[in-house]
Amino acid sequence: MRDLRSILGAAAMATVFSLWHCGAFAQMNHQHASEAACEETVLRCASKVTPAFGPDGTLWLAWMAGGQISVASSKDEGKTFSSPVRVTREDLNLDWGPDARPKIAIDGKGRMALAFSIFRDKAFNGQVLTTQSTDGGKSFAPLRPITADNESQRFEAIAFEPDGTVFAAWLDKRNRVPARQNGKPYDGAGLFFATSKDGGSTYSDAQLVADNTCECCRLGLALDGSGRPVVVFRNIFEGGVRDHAVVTFTDAASPGEIHRVSRDDWQIAACPHHGPSLSISPNGTYHVAWYTNGKARKGLFYARSSDGGKTFSDPLPIGEPGRSPSRPQVIAGPSGLVMVWKEFDGEKTEVKLMTSQDDGATWSTPRAIASTADNSDHPLLVSDSRRVYLSWMTKADGYRFQPIEGEP
Amino acid sequence: MKRELLAAVFLLGTLSVAAAAEDAELRPFERGSWQQILRSHAGRPTLVHFWGVTCGPCKVELPQLGKFMKDHPGIDIVTISADLVPNLPEATQSMLQKAGLASAENWMFSDGFADRLRFEIDPAWQGDIPRTMLVARDGAVTTVEGSAEMSELDKWAQGQAGTTGSR
Repeated sequence: MRDLRSILGAAAMATVFSLWHCGAFAQMNHQHASEAACEETVLRCASKVTPAFGPDGTLWLAWMAGGQISVASSKDEGKTFSSPVRVTREDLNLDWGPDARPKIAIDGKGRMALAFSIFRDKAFNGQVLTTQSTDGGKSFAPLRPITADNESQRFEAIAFEPDGTVFAAWLDKRNRVPARQNGKPYDGAGLFFATSKDGGSTYSDAQLVADNTCECCRLGLALDGSGRPVVVFRNIFEGGVRDHAVVTFTDAASPGEIHRVSRDDWQIAACPHHGPSLSISPNGTYHVAWYTNGKARKGLFYARSSDGGKTFSDPLPIGEPGRSPSRPQVIAGPSGLVMVWKEFDGEKTEVKLMTSQDDGATWSTPRAIASTADNSDHPLLVSDSRRVYLSWMTKADGYRFQPIEGEP
Repeated sequence: MKRELLAAVFLLGTLSVAAAAEDAELRPFERGSWQQILRSHAGRPTLVHFWGVTCGPCKVELPQLGKFMKDHPGIDIVTISADLVPNLPEATQSMLQKAGLASAENWMFSDGFADRLRFEIDPAWQGDIPRTMLVARDGAVTTVEGSAEMSELDKWAQGQAGTTGSR
């Protein structure tokens, strides 16, 4: 009797425990709970896809799927793709945050630089990893950390300068260590940068642009007509106000003065997970689109600067306020400015488009150019010498690459 | 024998509940979960806290909420991990446990279409966390964006204690 009871008891205990621990999680691990359509490393299963054009007009994609980063190319505007090449070789805990994605940059000679973030430990400290390809994307060098420092880094952005230097900026929490040692609080993260003279194989020592910027939003990076990097970021201004700021480098190693893009007055101690977008016209006008939930204004906004980022126009509201407009992207293309963003009506997500033929002074009436009824990546814009394209990964409908037709 | 077995199963059940109570039970937050939460707490002052394991300010606020729960047994505490999936149940549980929130009503976003989940809660919410919604006895909702001031939460809780209700 005692034996039976103890056997039954142990069995019951084990069952109760396993049900308790696994029941809810088993449901959560169901496909439904995933951002992606499938778990393999192929493009169809991607949650984040980043496009870039090579100098010969080849479209390159870097994507995150099945816990890996892969790259493939298309010579027919995204209709067919080459066999994917894996950039990651081992299982890494990739940064899956809403504003994280692999970055890909290609120079005039076809050299490719890649960067992305991982969570390095159980406390979700991030690390930025980089690699390069010098054989036209056939293979990628072993991954290297962008900096030797071990404090958390995330939200990298990379671009090739005209002379072939890779410029990289990212958010880095190293300066909270000395602050803590002095018993002082340290809000947010530092905006750091480094450059690579060997196509993204090794980077210079990290240098600080600004302390105390918002730690959880992507950066907007573009090069001006002289090839100088310009970075737009969510700053933390006096009183914990998380409004946007811009910095223009005087050369690749010297960040200039920081200017405020807009006084939205969003005072919040939180992670908005919603970074800005920046593009620069050939005539030097800066175009910035961003999200805020400030006291002064709420929603998506656009502003431009014709004095190199010192002052900006009054913010122009974007999208229908009742439809949760989000994830704006702006690009100065070969035939004018193009802006896209997402709107959600409770069931489906639409990508809305508007264009400007007068450098952002006036914009066309927004119209929907794509929609999906399940999860989707941010809508991204990419341009070759002829036109602008929408690049959009969706869970239900797969990857979409479509030209933006000219506006009347 | 039958009675003894029943007693043993009952005892084991109680023991496992007690043991598991140290672990934070996580409920999957899906379509309709928000209305379910509002219905099940109707008429009771409820604090709903949205947070995530990768959110810096959340790490600071969570233990403060654990203390708030201890100090205000009359307030229902609901936490919802709203980090984007794939989420980590183990990390989520471990942080809730360390914060003293294991016995709160704990949920975790478990629909890959997070936009839709957020829209059901508040169409204007773009996903910034932490975020706290204070649901009064009469159903009135006060939303606190970002980290909440504990003194403000205390004040709200005291106000709720002053109101009459079914409890």
